[in-house]
Amino acid sequence: MGNLIQQTVNALTIGSIYALIALGYTMVYGVLRMINFAHGEMFMLGAYVAFLILSMLVGDVGMAGAIALTVAFVVAVFLVGFIGVGIERVAYKPLRNSTRLAPMLSSLGVSLSLVTGMQILAGPQPVAFPSFFPVVRYEVLGGTITSMQIGILVAAFVLMFGLHFLVNRSRIGIIVRAVSESRPTAQLLGINVNGAISMVFFVGPLLGAAGGILYASYYGIMSPTMGAVIGLKAFTAAILGGIGSIPGAMLGAFILAFVEVGGTALLPVITHGVLGTEYRDVLTFAILILVLLVRPAGILGEAVSEESIVYKREF
Amino acid sequence: MRKFIATLLLGASLFAGPAMAEQITIGLSAPLSGPQAYFGTTWHNGFKLYVDKLNADGGVNGVTVAYDQQDDKADPREGTLVAQKFCDNDKVVLGLVNFNSGVAQSTLPIYEDCSLPTMTFGSNPSLTKQGYKLMVRPVANDLAGALLPAEYALGKLSAKTALVVNDKQVFGQGISEIFAKNFQDGGGKVIDTISVAPSDVDFAAVLAQIKPKKPDVIYLGAVMPQLALFAKQMHEQGITATLIVPDGGYTPDLIKQAGEPNVQGTLVAIQVPPMDASPEIAEFAKLYKAKYGEEAGPYSIYGYVQGQILEQVLKTTKGLTREDINTALHAVKVKTAVGELEFDETGELKVAPSYLYKVEGSKFQLVGSK
Repeated sequence: MGNLIQQTVNALTIGSIYALIALGYTMVYGVLRMINFAHGEMFMLGAYVAFLILSMLVGDVGMAGAIALTVAFVVAVFLVGFIGVGIERVAYKPLRNSTRLAPMLSSLGVSLSLVTGMQILAGPQPVAFPSFFPVVRYEVLGGTITSMQIGILVAAFVLMFGLHFLVNRSRIGIIVRAVSESRPTAQLLGINVNGAISMVFFVGPLLGAAGGILYASYYGIMSPTMGAVIGLKAFTAAILGGIGSIPGAMLGAFILAFVEVGGTALLPVITHGVLGTEYRDVLTFAILILVLLVRPAGILGEAVSEESIVYKREF
Repeated sequence: MRKFIATLLLGASLFAGPAMAEQITIGLSAPLSGPQAYFGTTWHNGFKLYVDKLNADGGVNGVTVAYDQQDDKADPREGTLVAQKFCDNDKVVLGLVNFNSGVAQSTLPIYEDCSLPTMTFGSNPSLTKQGYKLMVRPVANDLAGALLPAEYALGKLSAKTALVVNDKQVFGQGISEIFAKNFQDGGGKVIDTISVAPSDVDFAAVLAQIKPKKPDVIYLGAVMPQLALFAKQMHEQGITATLIVPDGGYTPDLIKQAGEPNVQGTLVAIQVPPMDASPEIAEFAKLYKAKYGEEAGPYSIYGYVQGQILEQVLKTTKGLTREDINTALHAVKVKTAVGELEFDETGELKVAPSYLYKVEGSKFQLVGSK
């Protein structure tokens, strides 16, 4: 029982970090029908920028207090949001009317440049990252929950709720949704398409950066390549949930996290070390394939109309 | 006419060159980038420190030493490319190669094929059991590295049960199996063996399975940064077993990345003596700091010792061909900073020192040696 609760908490923690990143993939795809491979690097940038701000604020990062940490978190996510907008302007906007592949390849280039750039600037080694919460353990029904995990859950849910409000209840959300529905029509109706796209490229990286900071803080280290694997996982989560769908990205992320934790918890123990946790990814992708066989658009994939099929064929 | 004279002069200068003084090249290969860069660079720095001093004193009997330093990225594929490069370069007469057992595993056959003698650093015991005629290992193997911690756990910690976790790599799995065997031979019980992936950062799920088993000690056969991540998450989950890790953990990063309170009492076994163990080692530590501006790395002293071995080899060798160097290397008997070293017929050290440290505060405290 305690173990079950423990594993549920572990899965929820990783799931909410995956969800924050998956949202960026799904939003960009929803509006531009483009897969932004540089998104995993926003996750990495979040951690590094927060670290840089912290070291400017307090000198010795290990000694940072609650206020410095909060300031660093907020400033870093906004900065990365602006970096995201900048990247869109430089690397994707000029390619907006070319083939679908061009911006995707451009995003791969951006991704490589960011990783390599960070390796040159900050060194290839993993760097220790401070805890955002003093780690206190709580025993709940035999399971252990740390204050860190609670903090991550709360932060992730606040951000996701904020996004839900932004998309479904605000004026900006209406514009973004209109552009996502049909870019040419929205343009004809006088909607600021560039503004909406910038907004998407601001919010996506912002959430990704928040995920990166929480992740680095949870595990205590960051490295320039940290975005690669987790970016792939979040991308998988977005596909699993139905790319383009915001609730789908969250659902996909949590399903993925539960499968992973379940697999990691059971496989090595059942097989006594013959099968290790390296099979977690096998499980993940097996589930992905199974779901896509039954629902090619993902679990909560967009309702596919005649028109949008034609639209998507271009890809 | 002018062209003819120029050609003539060039030809003359080519003949004049080699007659002056002899220079040999040592091939250095280790991870210089990536997560293990610290180990590779600081090991090589120790060697360069000694060799530069040797050259400044005019070399050995007029022979000076150059080095060709290459990055194998801790990757067997890169390692084999570097090996081929050293093999094809006639000036290279000795290789100081491969920090990782997994990389050495795939490069040693190449060095053997082109008759290039090597001092290998990979500590997996199987490396010396494959009949290589051209390699020696001037560092203790994992049989020694995993014996001391098992004895300490049984004797000093009175541990009855151990749980073994490994990352399924040549090094991690090998050393943890040796620990398990030693622990069982000494009367302890290994309650389970769990393997994780070398790219894992999240051990929470595995730790939740370990917790109810309540082992006295946990042996983790892996490398950094997994050692630090595991220690941190283990402590955060409230597991009180003593964590024992292999030599890769002997770095300030272990304490920094895991967080000081999370690694207290963690045991690290390594072949390296404390830097104040003898006046000679203390002198080395001082020289190192003066030259590179930082404390000596975990394996720097072995780089230095390999420099001392090389000096002895050059003193005793008949000639400077790869064959001559190999003969001298296998017969070498030399007093080094870590004691007198000589190799047996398989290239293994006859007496291999090994040390056990415990994390106390932000320092490694020596708790045992053998």
